[in-house]
Amino acid sequence: MQVNLLEFWPKILQAINETLIMVGVSLVVAALIGIPLGIALVVTRHGGLLQNSAFFKGLSVVINFFRSIPFIILLVAILPLTRFLVGTSIGTAAAVVPLVLFSGPYIARLVESSLMEVKPGVVEAAEAMGASPWQIILRVYVPEALSSIVLNLTIATIGLVGASAMAGFVGGGGLGDLAIAYGYQRFETDIMIVTVLLLVLLVQIVQTLGNVLSKKMRRQ
Amino acid sequence: MIQFENVSKVYEHNGKELRAVDGVDISIEKGEIFGVIGFSGAGKSTLVRLVNLLEQPSGGNILVEEDDLSRLSKPGLRKMRKRIGMIFQHFNLLESKTVLHNVAFPLIISGTPKKKIKARVEEVLDFVGLSDKAHQYPEELSGGQKQRVGIARALVTSPDILLCDEATSALDPETTKSILQLLKRVRDEYNLTILMITHEMNAVREVCDRVAVMENGQVIEQGSIFELFSNPQHPTTKNFIQSVMESDIPPSILSGIEERGGGRHVYRVTFVREKAAQPIFSQVAKNYQVEVNVLFGQITELQGIPFGQLVVELLGEDREIVRALDYIQRTVSVQEVEADAG
Ligand SMILES: Nc1ncnc2c1ncn2[C@@H]1O[C@H](COP(=O)(O)OP(=O)(O)OP(=O)(O)O)[C@@H](O)[C@H]1O
Ligand SMILES: [Mg+2]
Repeated sequence: MQVNLLEFWPKILQAINETLIMVGVSLVVAALIGIPLGIALVVTRHGGLLQNSAFFKGLSVVINFFRSIPFIILLVAILPLTRFLVGTSIGTAAAVVPLVLFSGPYIARLVESSLMEVKPGVVEAAEAMGASPWQIILRVYVPEALSSIVLNLTIATIGLVGASAMAGFVGGGGLGDLAIAYGYQRFETDIMIVTVLLLVLLVQIVQTLGNVLSKKMRRQ
Repeated sequence: MIQFENVSKVYEHNGKELRAVDGVDISIEKGEIFGVIGFSGAGKSTLVRLVNLLEQPSGGNILVEEDDLSRLSKPGLRKMRKRIGMIFQHFNLLESKTVLHNVAFPLIISGTPKKKIKARVEEVLDFVGLSDKAHQYPEELSGGQKQRVGIARALVTSPDILLCDEATSALDPETTKSILQLLKRVRDEYNLTILMITHEMNAVREVCDRVAVMENGQVIEQGSIFELFSNPQHPTTKNFIQSVMESDIPPSILSGIEERGGGRHVYRVTFVREKAAQPIFSQVAKNYQVEVNVLFGQITELQGIPFGQLVVELLGEDREIVRALDYIQRTVSVQEVEADAG
């Protein structure tokens, strides 16, 4: 058993690396998509800063659409798109595409709910001061909601860790892949336990970091 | 300075129309503190929000220094809004930013250079007495201090007008008093025009020059605060005044007047400031063949000036009473009290 683990250590390191890349890259791209969409949902809704009911409803339907597809199906269903975007449908880079499609819309909803917590009175005060819609978004909505957005992004990140384990299925690699390939398919139980423990550790670290960062953002 | 001309605001609600503001005519002079008082739902908040176009009027005109805001372009409106400060019942400060940043906010969005911002923010924080709190966060402040930050933020752009929507309603009486005094200082030192919304007659009594009473979206009565206190017309107005001063004659005294039968001469004498009634009545007693019998009376303060009402009965011959009344009326306001009126 000891020998076994030592033997597998390089594989585990590589898997950690793959997981971190998958989660990190997907998170950044999904946040870049999800945050603006979340803002758009808030400002275009009825009574919003840039009210536009048609846009709001359209966007809402699209987001709901992606949110309703189970990740495992999304993973397979968009293989052609993945191939088109990254040139291949297997490997870590290929896994990023479904992960982004999975968590981008999720982040949009999370950011929307964070922004909705900003007191309307504060927004109104800024309007009364003659702030433009953009100034209100960047200087009122975002800073006031930042602490909550960070907490919600933490939730999204942990969701991504879980999803990335499934992405191993399309050859994305990572800890989840390792656990399934050795632990499940080859009955190497101790490898599975180690990888699962590593995933637990990763989630703990992400949540702790998120909490600390969120607290910092309460006072800028 | 601010002119409402037949202004209305109608909300559609489930197909039904709700006239939140209904045909309001008010003219507010420069440098004046104008109060609008009314019960909850009277339309007061809607009325102030029409001034800086947070709400679009459904009818009528609102002129701010001759400008009709609803005709301005969006950038034009934003520019105009920078000249109209506003403070709120719940302060509406940015919780994630320091006091300094909150107060600087209107200047930041105007693109004012940093150095200028710093100097100006220090100036207004000093004015509201919060220089030592610059680096604290709103949640570390008391309600009164938060409102001072709100006032500093509203003043930082040197506006011409200050709109206050229930600015003291979330504060205790002592703090309310200090905030009202601060608003008065704002007017006196910066010559601002202040439109103040409240449901507290105390606040009006303390600082307003003139006041309008609102009910169901309409202004039911308006005038100088002395006019309103000495001679309220509408039951709602009387109600508000009663909250700080008993304006009706107690029933026991009224029935006493009735019992004495015809030929009574009962008057309500309203006096202000140094024209205290007492010396006048002793003069009357000395110079005319009339006896003065005080039935009921009370004194309060309007803007720090004593203001009182006495209900007196004059006893004597009719001719003497007429002469005495004439004398009294030269210095203070007198109304005859009908036995059944009150
Ligand atoms: N956005 C809105 N949509 C529909 N109705 C509204 C809206 N804003 C206000 N109203 C209605 O207009 C009326 C006047 O409201 P307003 O807030 O001006 O009253 P108020 O005098 O400020 O009351 P309060 O003392 O409770 O603040 C109320 O009946 C209210 O329900
Ligand atoms: Mg109100």
